[in-house]
Amino acid sequence: MIFRAVLLALLVCPAATADVRQADQSSGTLDFSAMQAGAKFTGSFRRFQVRLDFDPANPAKGSLDVTVETPSIDTQDAERDEILKSPDFFWIEKHKQAEFHATHFERAGAGWRASGELTIRGVGKPVPVQFTLAPAGAVAVMKGSASLKRLAFGLGQGDWASTEWIGDDVEVRFELKLAPIG
Amino acid sequence: MRYGYVAQTLHWVVVALLIVQVTIGKIAGNLPLGLEKLALLARHKSFGITILGIAAIRLAWRRIDRPPPPPPMPRWQHAAANLNHWGLYALLFAMPLSGWLMSSASNYPVSWFGIVQLPDFVGPDRELKEFFRELHHLFGWFLYALVGLHLAAALKHQFIDRDGLLFRMLPGGPR
Repeated sequence: MIFRAVLLALLVCPAATADVRQADQSSGTLDFSAMQAGAKFTGSFRRFQVRLDFDPANPAKGSLDVTVETPSIDTQDAERDEILKSPDFFWIEKHKQAEFHATHFERAGAGWRASGELTIRGVGKPVPVQFTLAPAGAVAVMKGSASLKRLAFGLGQGDWASTEWIGDDVEVRFELKLAPIG
Repeated sequence: MRYGYVAQTLHWVVVALLIVQVTIGKIAGNLPLGLEKLALLARHKSFGITILGIAAIRLAWRRIDRPPPPPPMPRWQHAAANLNHWGLYALLFAMPLSGWLMSSASNYPVSWFGIVQLPDFVGPDRELKEFFRELHHLFGWFLYALVGLHLAAALKHQFIDRDGLLFRMLPGGPR
């Protein structure tokens, strides 16, 4: 039913879909950084999908949907990646994906803030995502960041819950070239 | 004639730090990645950077307060001692620098006691990490060799030649 409605909308009014754009790892980066032993390090997710339905003229109607493949986590150190994939952190056997969904946008400085819910390890928490969106030819460049607390999502079980050597704060950064769908 | 107290203090602080460094380096090297290893390596890096700083201060201080003349000895021994001393100085730089680069290449940047984060001169790179890891270990072997010679020579002068050489690095004697 919904599918038919969407199809109908596509046929009747192509302009209605012009604001829907998407990106994945082939057209962008999704990085995170955290403190280990007093020094900041950066890691990446190598597989993810982003879908943005957003019209700056009508922010109330938009949506941002991000799916991150947790097994694609990469911190350039096999031993650390193994621990991050283990049940002590992302628990990739049970939670293959982390997700973010937002349907609320508002102006924030020179850019936008998408207020939505981030789900990691099955734990959903509200997380605001700041971003800017700039058209660049056929694509739109979306740059942004979000801050979260790893322990709120259970990232760090047992001894790893200590913040003495690994900080609680995680900064997420992304830079995407969003291409129009269709 | 002996070294000044500043030079003596810096020398013995480095000796103590090197013993600590070798000990925690060996222990951490055999641990699986965990909080214990992170904590030990964090200290290993902080002490290493401390040694790097002290090495720079020692070189500068040598120019301000000149080392005392050595006791009379054959020319070749004097040359060997000089070579060994400069080799040790070089290693006090080479060990921490190779460790620092190894940390940067393995994406575990270095912090000095959680107070200041050091810059990364190389980015994360598995091959570079392997290269600097081997270099760090190779320098470690050089260090054992030169420290062994240094120690053996000092003890030989003190107890076989009985020329009082060891008192140059101990408090109390005349300057």
